Amino acid sequence: MLEMLPTWLIDWLGPDGMANLAYLTNGKHLAWYASVRYTLIAAVCGAGLAVIFGLLGAGAKLSKFAPLRWLGDIYTTMVRGVPDVLFLLFFPLAFEQGIEYIMAKMYCSPDAVAAAGGVACKEAQWFLTTTEYLVMACFSLGIVYGAFAANVIYGALKAVPKGQLEAAQAFGFNEREVFWRFQVRQMWVYALPGLSNVWLLLLKATSLLSLLQITDIVAWADRLGAPNYLPMAGLVHPDWRWKYYLVLFIFYILLTFISERFFGFLQARASRGMARAN
Amino acid sequence: MDTLLNSPFIADLVILFKPALYNIYFLVAAVPLGFVFAVVLALAKNSQSKLIALPARTYIYAFRGSPLFIQFFMFYSISLALNPSVWKPLGLDWLMLSPLFIGPFVLMLNTAAYSAEIFSGALQSVPKGEIEAARATGMSKKQEFRTAIWPNMLRLAWPAYSNEVVFLFHSTTLVYFTMPVINQQQDLMNKAGELFEKDYNLFLHFSAAALYFLVISIVIFYICNLIYKRLTRHLNVDVKLKIKPNYTR
Amino acid sequence: MGKKWLLAISLGAALISGQVSAEDKLRIGTEGAYAPYNFMNDQGKLAGFEIDLGNELCKRTQMTCEFVVNEWDSIIPNLLAGNYDAIMAGMSITDERKKSITFSEEYKPVDPSLYAAKKDTQLDFDKLEGKNIGVQGATIQATFVQDKWAAKNTIKAYEKPDQSLADLMAGTVDAVLADGEFIRTAVEGSNGELVVIGPSEMIGGGIGIGMRPDDAKLHEKLNAALAEMKKDGSLDELIKTYFKVGPFYKK
Repeated sequence: MLEMLPTWLIDWLGPDGMANLAYLTNGKHLAWYASVRYTLIAAVCGAGLAVIFGLLGAGAKLSKFAPLRWLGDIYTTMVRGVPDVLFLLFFPLAFEQGIEYIMAKMYCSPDAVAAAGGVACKEAQWFLTTTEYLVMACFSLGIVYGAFAANVIYGALKAVPKGQLEAAQAFGFNEREVFWRFQVRQMWVYALPGLSNVWLLLLKATSLLSLLQITDIVAWADRLGAPNYLPMAGLVHPDWRWKYYLVLFIFYILLTFISERFFGFLQARASRGMARAN
Repeated sequence: MDTLLNSPFIADLVILFKPALYNIYFLVAAVPLGFVFAVVLALAKNSQSKLIALPARTYIYAFRGSPLFIQFFMFYSISLALNPSVWKPLGLDWLMLSPLFIGPFVLMLNTAAYSAEIFSGALQSVPKGEIEAARATGMSKKQEFRTAIWPNMLRLAWPAYSNEVVFLFHSTTLVYFTMPVINQQQDLMNKAGELFEKDYNLFLHFSAAALYFLVISIVIFYICNLIYKRLTRHLNVDVKLKIKPNYTR
Repeated sequence: MGKKWLLAISLGAALISGQVSAEDKLRIGTEGAYAPYNFMNDQGKLAGFEIDLGNELCKRTQMTCEFVVNEWDSIIPNLLAGNYDAIMAGMSITDERKKSITFSEEYKPVDPSLYAAKKDTQLDFDKLEGKNIGVQGATIQATFVQDKWAAKNTIKAYEKPDQSLADLMAGTVDAVLADGEFIRTAVEGSNGELVVIGPSEMIGGGIGIGMRPDDAKLHEKLNAALAEMKKDGSLDELIKTYFKVGPFYKK
């Protein structure tokens, strides 16, 4: 494939440069580059779900119904006392066990359960592939960072000037309409800085995907950097892991930089026409 | 009483006691140096000289812009690569490759960046009047810093800094996800994971570990609150810290 | 709301996939990091002795092969949990493992384990003291060094075999004990940096396919195919390709 490069480029790179290029574009490296998709999918889907969970959480916190309010408070408090890693590992495992429990109830005879040592029988065992793990990772990220987002949205909903809402009421909108059409719509401007922080947190948390059995950029970096002594298995090299981790380090800083630019742009757009204090 | 002691949850709490000490050790080892480094970084970031401000800014941006998980992997593998040429000849290999050293070291580098951002924000909001008052009384630069800038900065930064310490505590879980476990040195998550793999009782083991995290987080907050009360005692108002999520890693 | 929905979908998906995988599909768990038994090649694909052997076995038993990469330390629990149906990962047949899983007939005869060290290392294996010895955790070698050396030396157990070699090169451990083929491959490829050192330790049995105890049908099928491959010499050929030894099985 590399022979298709223009000759001037081949000359400029020289034999060493070409060898490096060939190494960096072999199947193993291409698989590494392609695995970025898991990181991006988890980040985008996780963020979408986090906003949804955030809205639900903030809605619960503002509810007039006390138990719902408590539920909202418990939800937004839990992430402050317990590490996110614990939740990220817990939710997928709990979900898998839940499914297998239900399936065991449906399909396993008591004898089969006893034979399997009290756990799910063979028919009830659920084989998880990367796709299922990725979906569960999105939900875990959504639930954990949804709690952060709920706090942000809760604060933003309360920051919407009362006068705006009273004016809407005076125009004859009912309570529900005032909430959805005015309070929620105006809230975004106030929530944006906070939500951009939540996004940056979530982005960094996507580095943990390898803990959920997903062969993501971190797992591939580990495989590529591991020393190889078998010519049959590719280039023979000592332990190069630090080089690959350095690349990931820079990659995440770049993602952060791009995200900040993007949110700055959004903020500038969103606050057009808003009255400012200074 | 007997049945209570025999309950699996209590048994888990007993098993997890020693692992919890590792998490506490990582935190206690990382915070003091991290605090000092953060103050230096914050002052450097707010410096007039670009030559001083730029490296500090870059450092803070890099460490806040990348996951701690990657930072652990990176520093451990770099230290490993340096072992034959540097640590071994110096006789430092037992130290430089121990998770008990690299763990707190990376946590320190990381918390310094997050805390420096908090301190530098606080530095910028130190009331101008107090600095001017200090200057008017003819104080030297050093005195001005000690009497006007430092106490104000600390007081303004403390609520956010307390949150940072709590989240740093939570981040100690990542040490043994990224580094080898030597002998029986395990932290809470590592041990809880090991218990889970034996009997698949997810709720039991994870909630026992979660309880430890929760209780220790509350204790950290209590201590921070006591310090905050001391820092603000001259203000003559009853202030209280609020746990609120801010930047984590 | 969203969760319920997902539950319904995944329940459906699990049911469907459960039906598909009923008969003619064989999922094989392997590690992908134990050259030349199993490893990731330059194309990012699984390759090695066991991959070729597994594919050949599937051809002969008319099943579709699918390899699943799994970490070594959870490779037996995940077999029991049904993530795959067989293990081919350079796993020695031992009595300890037979308590939880069954093995096929061996497909690679027993090979003594070897120590590797950096060149110019002086180790007196008659009275080894205060040294660091690396092994992969949950292996026969790990149990062995624990019994033989742990009293006066430090044992370091690694999750992955290549980590033990990386630490050996970095000087964190003085010697690594592992499967003979694995050590020889590393020493040959290390450009003289690594050497075989000390005694060869005769531990474990031959290498076999691990299966769930209740999978008698699969057990029978694979054993029949293995016997066939031993008889017609194709297994010896595979061994020759990857390990340059043999023949062992063709009379």
